[in-house]
Order: sequence, then structure tokens, then C-alpha cells
Amino acid sequence: MRMLALLRKELLDQRQNLALFVPSLIVAVVAILLPVFVAIIIPYTTGERLSDSSDFEVALDMFRAQPGTQALDPEAAIQAYLFQFFAVMLVLIPVTSSMSLAAYSVVGEKQARTLEPLLVTPITTFELLGAKVLGAFIPSIALTVMSYVGYVLIALVLARPGVAGILLGGRATAIVFVLGPLAALAALQMAVSVSSRVNDARTAQQIGVLVILPIPGLLVGQLFGAITLSLPVIVLMAIGLLVINAGLMWLAIMLFDRETILTRWK
Amino acid sequence: MRSGNDHYRDTVTHVTGTATLVAHHLTRRFGNRLAVDDLSFEFKAGEILALLGPNGAGKTTTLRMLAGLIAPSSGSVHIDGQEMTPRAAPGLRARIGFLTEAPGLWDNLTVRENVSVYARLYGLGDPDKAVSAALALFDVADRSEDRTARLSKGLKQRVALARTIVHQPPIVLLDEPTSGLDPESAKDVRELIVGMRSQGRAVLLCTHNLDEVERVADRVAVLRSRLMAVGTPGDLRKRLFAPRLRIRLSEPAEPFAAALRSSGLGDVSVIGATLSLAGGIRSTPEIVRTLVHAGAGIESVEEEERSLEDIYIKLLNPEGALQ
Repeated sequence: MRMLALLRKELLDQRQNLALFVPSLIVAVVAILLPVFVAIIIPYTTGERLSDSSDFEVALDMFRAQPGTQALDPEAAIQAYLFQFFAVMLVLIPVTSSMSLAAYSVVGEKQARTLEPLLVTPITTFELLGAKVLGAFIPSIALTVMSYVGYVLIALVLARPGVAGILLGGRATAIVFVLGPLAALAALQMAVSVSSRVNDARTAQQIGVLVILPIPGLLVGQLFGAITLSLPVIVLMAIGLLVINAGLMWLAIMLFDRETILTRWK
Repeated sequence: MRSGNDHYRDTVTHVTGTATLVAHHLTRRFGNRLAVDDLSFEFKAGEILALLGPNGAGKTTTLRMLAGLIAPSSGSVHIDGQEMTPRAAPGLRARIGFLTEAPGLWDNLTVRENVSVYARLYGLGDPDKAVSAALALFDVADRSEDRTARLSKGLKQRVALARTIVHQPPIVLLDEPTSGLDPESAKDVRELIVGMRSQGRAVLLCTHNLDEVERVADRVAVLRSRLMAVGTPGDLRKRLFAPRLRIRLSEPAEPFAAALRSSGLGDVSVIGATLSLAGGIRSTPEIVRTLVHAGAGIESVEEEERSLEDIYIKLLNPEGALQ
């Protein structure tokens, strides 16, 4: 109940501060437009079909080994491969979004001198941090869902038939709806933990950025064939992220020292 | 005709019970620094106790210990006989309203939303009604839909006070409630504090403003890491200063001071037509007779009242030059 009360405040506060979402919106636009440029606009403007290029042969072979992709014609298969490849970028949306909200969460309350009255209430550390985490998590996931819908609609309208269907399959949805939220949760828990130990939201954001690094790593790994985000790999990564999240939640509660926050922060 | 506000005001019932907060040998260290040293006092329902002290005297640390925000290094806090332990603190904090030095309002939220969050954090059964009552009590109901960023400092303080008592706490801790307010707003806030006493709350008022203390406090505690004294202003005056008489004459007093001195009264001072002399050495009628005999025209005779400022300075500077 108390967590809900504070969560409601977090969402009301964000309603008046929509500028917080600008970085995430930029990431969302880039994530959506990147495959459109690579898979549709560039071949269209150069007049060269993707299936005529040998650059995608290896990746395409790996991709077509997955069920549901064999029925696609060669051009649609490459487009589907590219759309699914860049779907990893959608994971960046909740991560950047939640981080920009969470980095400010505790240190922002302290800077606005609103934290002490809050700590006088019977709210527990778990409830307070839970509300902060959910307050950043919910809008981030909402933004991700909207971006994903936009992503699929663009594929439906601009790409070859069958491509949008692949994006609705288990692999792409697992990336967006399992890896994305879990990575976002890890990022924002780290940001909230750091936010409760530093005097400046920027410091929290800079440290939270560390969570983003593995995501471009995934992109590059896929590009060079070092890793294929197959369903079993996604499940393994999800389990790893769950463990990391549990550890981070414990760490966040341990690091949130009311006395230090009240007596040493200036 | 009764207004809507009157209706809400009626719903803020007097606090029942006799909440008492007891600080028992409270000590708090920060590293090697002793912020609060062996502090013991108590205050009860329907009383305003003022906590006075210079900057860095440990006032805010004391308030935070009383509110269960930080733990004492040693000593204890009891509320209605129940000790403030880490386990009991969340429950006991619900019996306390704490106004921090800064209003601590969320600027992006409206007045109602600000107070409403706290009503829900305290788990009130009917939060909307409680919020309306609190806003009406502090005369901010008509601004309830305004964002707090748009309010003046005085109005923000009223909203913060409404937030402080929205859960009807029997104990209220106020840290510098009139700091930075213009005289009119400060007067309004003081009246609201006095109103809290009338509602039966135990109020601890932490302030630098001696005039404010003189106006509202029942008892005063002077703190400089240690508790220097606690009592009513009258008690402290008696304890710290010998009684003095102030005699106003109709003419310059110096020649009559000489007459008193020659009659054996040593401690006589003169300011224009007023004599100030130690009381209790000789009876007042005897002093008056001496003056009349010397030809003085006496306009008034009264016991000299020491100000709270005199008490405060005397306590903090026992070797000081106060006469």
C-alpha cells in the first residue's frame, strides 16, 4: 500500500517532467529507423537487392536455420534477419529510459530536500526502493511496448510480406519483452543504488551507463557470428539477469543507509 | 453561515490520550565529534517545549533521534512508554509529525497531491477526507489544485504543516518552522502552532527565534550539545537571576541612587530617571521610604523582568557580562 502511494507520486511527478523521456525517445527513433535504412531505404535508393550481395550469406544461413524462416523468399529473409538483428536496439530503450529516471530518484529527493519528510513516515527501505524502481520501470516498459508496436508496424508497411510475422515470433518478443525488461531492471537497480550513495544524479547516470555496454556488445557479437540470439541463449541470458537482479536488489537495500543519507549528504 | 472550511475544521478532532515523549540520556557521536551529550527531558500532550541553542548545538540531531530517523549512540527515546528501537521505529514514527527545516514539498505535484501521498503513506482509512481536513485547518484548501512550485514561501510552510499533521499525530516536532518567513506569515504559523497545542498535541519547537519562543512556548530547553537548562521561562529567570526592582522617578535618579547607596544598598544602577537595584536585600516598602525621605517623586515600582534573551545568553555564557 505504501509502495503504491509512493509509486503514484513518482508517476505524477514524471507527468510534469516529460523532458526526462527525451533521451529514450531518441533511442527509440534510432532503433526503429536503423533497420528501415539498412534493409529498405539503402537497397531502394541504390537499386541493389540485399539478396544479390554475398555479405549476408553466413548470417543468412544461421538465420534460416531457425524454424519459421525457411518459407521467406531470399530478400524477405535478409530483411527479417536485419529487423531481428536490430531488435536488440529495442533493449536499449528501457535501459536508457529507466536509468535517466532512476539515477535521479534518490539523490533528486535529497537535493529537493523531500527525502527527510519521506523517511519520517513508516515506509520501509524495501517499499521506498521498490516504488523508485517501479516508478522508473513502468514508464520505461510502456515506452518499449510502444516502440515495439511501431517497429512491427513499420516492418508490416515497408518490408516484404512475412517480415513482420517473424518479429512477432518467440525470439524477437523474448529479446524485447524478457531481455529488455530484465536488463532495464538491472540498470535501474544499479542507478538507484548509486543514487542513494552519491550527491549528484550525473554520477549515478555515469555509473549506470556501464549496464548499456553489453548491449552494443551483443550487436557486434551477432554481426561477426560470435553469438546467435537463439531462444536457448536468450533463456540463459534471462536466467543470468534474474540472478544479477536479485543480487542488485539485495545490494540496493544494503547500500541505502538512512543515517548516512541524512547526516552526511549536504 | 458556515463555510466548507468550517466543516472540515470540525472534523479535525482533538487528539486524545496523553502522549509523552521521553528522551533519556541521549548521546550521539559522529566519529570523534560529540553532537549530543547525555540529553534527558520529556514533554507531554498539550505542551509546547522550545528547544533553543546556537548553530551546531545538536538541535536537528536531537529531533532526528526523537523521530527515530537516526539512532542514538547511547540513551533512549520512549513514546508513551514504548522504546524507539529499530524494530519499533516504523510504528512509532506514525505517532509523530515532523516538520523539517525545509518544507520538502514536491514542486511538480499539486498541494492536494503532496499531502495525499503522505495520507496514503500513513495508511489512513479515508485519505481524501483527511487531506481536505488538513488543508482546511491550515487555510490552503482554496489552493489545493495549485502546483506547490507556484506557492509563496509562507504558503509552502502551511502546506508542509498540513502534511505534518495529516495523520493526526499526538507528537509534533517542528524544526525552524518560521525560518525565512515574512513577519505576517511567521505570525500566522505561530498561531497554527499554538492551535496544535489547543488540539492536545505535544509540540517540540526547535528555533533560533527567542521572540517566538517567548510568545508560544510553555517550557524552554537550552541546548549546546549538553542540556544547559530546561524549565518555564519564569523558572529559568528565578534560577539564573537574582530578583531586581525597577523604580521609575519623576526626575533624574542619580542623586537618589547615592542616597540608597549611603543607606547600605550597594548594587544600584541608574538609567535616566530609572533606578535598578537588587531586590530581596531590603523590603520594598523600606526602599520606597528611603527614597521618599530623600525627596524623590516615585512614579512606579515593579519587579524587573529579564528577557528570554538574557536567560539564553546567561546560560550559554555563564561567565558573561550580564548584570
